[in-house]
Amino acid sequence: VTPRYTELQLDALRELANIASGNAATALSQMLGREVGLNVPRVHALPLADAVDACGTPDDDVTGVVIPLDGDIAGVVLLLIEPRGAETLCRLLGVEAWSEIGESALREIGNILGTSCLNALASMTGLHLEPCPPHLTTDMLGAIVSSLALTQTASTELVLVLDSELEVADEPCSISFVLLPTAGGVTDLLTPLGLAEAA
Amino acid sequence: MGTVRMGEIQVSKHAGDELVARGLGSCIGLALIDRLSGVAGLAHVVLPESNGVEASDEPGKFADLAVPALVARMQKSGAVVRRCDAVIAGGAKMFDLGEMDIGARNAAAVKTGLARVGMTLRAAETGGNRGRTLRLTVGEFVVTVKEAGEEPVVLFDGTAPKRFARRTAEVAA
Repeated sequence: VTPRYTELQLDALRELANIASGNAATALSQMLGREVGLNVPRVHALPLADAVDACGTPDDDVTGVVIPLDGDIAGVVLLLIEPRGAETLCRLLGVEAWSEIGESALREIGNILGTSCLNALASMTGLHLEPCPPHLTTDMLGAIVSSLALTQTASTELVLVLDSELEVADEPCSISFVLLPTAGGVTDLLTPLGLAEAA
Repeated sequence: MGTVRMGEIQVSKHAGDELVARGLGSCIGLALIDRLSGVAGLAHVVLPESNGVEASDEPGKFADLAVPALVARMQKSGAVVRRCDAVIAGGAKMFDLGEMDIGARNAAAVKTGLARVGMTLRAAETGGNRGRTLRLTVGEFVVTVKEAGEEPVVLFDGTAPKRFARRTAEVAA
């Protein structure tokens, strides 16, 4: 069964993503002591190949920080950071990029952004949501996104991607903030809002 | 011609064409080459089993359907199955999230499919935890595999002497 989402549901998911990534942007701003800009989140319900393309060029190198969700909803929060952005973040935090401590700093950013996003989602929906310890890899975007989506979603379902860009002011650093729920997870997000019916 | 996206199959007999499966994670790039007829094809396989799901718009998606579908497309372009060389790459486990190892199952399913049609696997670069890009150049029939941040490595070189030619030479000697 391929879930189809109504415009109303997609709007509601976009609003959830907007508030969740807004919280994440605030947390990042406090952590870095810089202004962090946020665009309006994009919400896509797409076949897998298109969902990967929506996140970027499949063979571009990116650093991916994966925060699996625990609690009432299955899914992952994924941060995609371009190499230059990863270097910028490490510089702003005063650690050496591409070192063990640099990786651990990026993991910590993932942890904090993931937690603030989940707190926002939890308070809006009344669901219990907790982040698991983050995983970090620097690899091809397509390999990261497709492999994650395949562990989240049954083969015939559309993949729901909630995607927003965080931009650190005056620095070459943008972070793609992606929420990748399972199909069941989407329904669980929509139920407390009274919008689960048509999902 | 060019990028073979997830679930797609492309076949070409035009020398110089490139068939590329980009950013393979747990997916498999399956390249088939018939040097004599000059036909080559590439499938970007996503999952091992179709389990009865129809995937006519994504013929390369499931390994059990992708192998026969790619073989049929190759034959239609003039390839002969018993002459074909098969090369695969991908099937990584990108994250250790405690889930099933889809990459390993994909690799096993593609190998099973190849064995079923009696095709020889000439080279394979599978498993591990790194993403890969597989590139096949039609005409020279060179297959390269590139990992993130690394230089491409030649996995198969179709410009090397053909096996039957070598065998003939041995017989003559």
